[in-house]
Amino acid sequence: MSVLRAATFAETDVRRRARLGAAAAFPDADGYGTALFGADPGRPAGDEIDTARLVPPVFMPQRLEKLIDLGREPLYGDVDLTTAIGGFTSPLPVYVSAFGSTQVASSNLGHAVSEQAGRLGVPMVIGENIVPMNGYGRIDADTERTLLGRLHRYAEHVPDGTGGVVVQQSTEDADAEVWNLVYSDPAATRLMDTGRLAFELKVGQGAKPGLGGMTVVSDEVGRQVSEQFAIDPIFGPDAGRVLRCGAPGTFTDEILRQQIRLMRNNFPRARIWVKVHPGRDIAQVTQVAWAAGADAVTVDGAEGGSGWAPLAFLNHVGLPLAECLRRIERPAAYCLLASGRMADGARIAKTLILGARAAGLGRAALIAADEDPRAGLTRLLDSIALELRLVISALGKYSPAALDADDIWLPQHPVTVAGRVPEGTNNHEYHH
Amino acid sequence: MTQTQLPATAGESLAGPPGPRAHLTSPVTQAVLRVQNQITAAAREYLSGDGFVEMLPPIIGPVTDPGARGAKQVDIDFYGHRYKLMTSAILYKQASLLAFNRIFYIAPNVRLEPLETSSTARHLAEFHQIDVEVAHASRDDILLVAQGLVSHIIRRVTGTMAAELAFLGRDPRAFDALLAGPFGRMTHHEAAESLHGLGHDQDPHAEIDWYAERLLSAQHERPFFVTDYPKGSRGFYDRENPDRPGTLMNFDLIAPEGYGELCSGSEREFEYRRIMARIRETGENPAKYGWYLDLVREGIKSSSGFGIGLERLTRYIAGLDATWQANAYPKLPGVVSP
Repeated sequence: MSVLRAATFAETDVRRRARLGAAAAFPDADGYGTALFGADPGRPAGDEIDTARLVPPVFMPQRLEKLIDLGREPLYGDVDLTTAIGGFTSPLPVYVSAFGSTQVASSNLGHAVSEQAGRLGVPMVIGENIVPMNGYGRIDADTERTLLGRLHRYAEHVPDGTGGVVVQQSTEDADAEVWNLVYSDPAATRLMDTGRLAFELKVGQGAKPGLGGMTVVSDEVGRQVSEQFAIDPIFGPDAGRVLRCGAPGTFTDEILRQQIRLMRNNFPRARIWVKVHPGRDIAQVTQVAWAAGADAVTVDGAEGGSGWAPLAFLNHVGLPLAECLRRIERPAAYCLLASGRMADGARIAKTLILGARAAGLGRAALIAADEDPRAGLTRLLDSIALELRLVISALGKYSPAALDADDIWLPQHPVTVAGRVPEGTNNHEYHH
Repeated sequence: MTQTQLPATAGESLAGPPGPRAHLTSPVTQAVLRVQNQITAAAREYLSGDGFVEMLPPIIGPVTDPGARGAKQVDIDFYGHRYKLMTSAILYKQASLLAFNRIFYIAPNVRLEPLETSSTARHLAEFHQIDVEVAHASRDDILLVAQGLVSHIIRRVTGTMAAELAFLGRDPRAFDALLAGPFGRMTHHEAAESLHGLGHDQDPHAEIDWYAERLLSAQHERPFFVTDYPKGSRGFYDRENPDRPGTLMNFDLIAPEGYGELCSGSEREFEYRRIMARIRETGENPAKYGWYLDLVREGIKSSSGFGIGLERLTRYIAGLDATWQANAYPKLPGVVSP
């Protein structure tokens, strides 16, 4: 176990999942038969998604359909979690998000995550450590090795027909030509030939809506990168360290539209993803991105991000993820993804109900790999998959796509959820 | 219109380049290089006669043309600063008009093209352009310059290099239509419609892909211009039509018989505010364009210009199977070569 800590995150739970796998979906079996279990009233209140409840009905017409189909009573194991995510296929409605350019996303953890995500065929976004730190504003040899190394590690292990790698680039690392580097590199050939390479345009991030990347660097590194980044001595003249700030990048609807079109033009064999912060104009942003041809748009909730951000932003800035998802009109053909403190099947199921096609694991994937570099992420995903199957079958459904607004109860919005059309079958009456 | 056989691609009938000794001592290579020598001589003759000043292009700089589709730039260490080899000298062409109103270069370009282009028979990682830029010229003005230049080159080569063309198996009558009248012209929109008619699914917002270009090219017996590409398919310096937002005032010159694109050009953006917005629309970080943006902010001339791919033009004129045959030291994308 390393020094990696995530105090504001369900770290203990994620580490337990990384050790126990599917068993972590339940209380410790050691106490079974002797202890009393129940909801934990001391559970800290989270965001609106956490306080929402999944609400199974009693009458389940879709379970009847499944029963007829199977010729026996359906069980949670009959839920098919296979999901189309931004042009890829995933065995469950989950992908691995980029971790940001913080030091915690070091190469060993990155490799561990890549290998496990690859073996499972779960799509993975690579975005960390890409931001150039050498002051020339371009990618250096070590970074190039790390980036291509992770891509190669994933491609080596991924089975045919599933998964995919998404390479992220922000305004501040456009100079590094990350996409061009990958597009012309032999390491990407196998993925590209099978339609499993995507490029993600990073428009914003959940932890710091409206701001660019921020890291703490030593005085010396600060001097080296001062041509490329703003260096702010907020810690005082003798602290030995400074704040390094990247530009967030300027976007208008036309700038976003044209950037996406140019990506499609320049990289016709790659899928195009777009990641945005929880902006108040999220409805318009998603429409522009999809209309311009984005294969997926990711909303990174203000709850998300493994990076270092001002406290004011962590606590007060950005739309809550639930509100973001509520504002987005999403025709079924468009792929909306969401990230932000995703680490368990219940939160992910609620996110899907609110309109996302899949959820991104950022910090959770990192912590799981830190707990066990060989199988931590695999076990975490096992526990999430089991929970999703339990929850979805309890709702009387057998695929993530069948989830709809009736499946959730939101204390603050108890009536209905926009963006998903409830299925008419729920209104059928049965007279037997 | 004639139905013409598409020229072979390297993947279909042609092995890659042989070693340097075999390539340089080959009578075919020697004939091709003599033809190419006439092409550059004819270009200099025509442009000098038309008031152009030939300038020597820079090969390195802090920034280069970002508009090369999917290609990677080459970094070099310039005394601790990361510089680029020119993918094209477009930014310097605009700057050069501070000295003269009509300039041209014969300029080397280096682009690490995607590996898939190694089999198009048309892409080289290192190639040359006849680069032309004219101050205060409109697109219609520059189309005439391009047409006049290409026609002159072909007239001179067919007039003086009959033996070489015969040796290479190129029938000079292939150029009769070209020399008899003006080049054809269609918009990107019309080209996309035409491609749909040929059963090819052309994205109306994107560059015409390489295969589609060959298809269109094979439908024509003389070169033709495709104009008005959609914004989002080209670099920030191609001027957006103020009367038709979303459409660029640019063009490609496509050779007939399946040889495809010979030349790209455009009326240019020259106003600071517009260039800054376009830089963002192409996903670029303005910071690295410092020297160029300083010039633009103080004022540069409006202009139009183009770059003709010298090896591609040589291939077309000499009737070669592949573009690499028109380069003494050919470098195919991804292939380690001398």
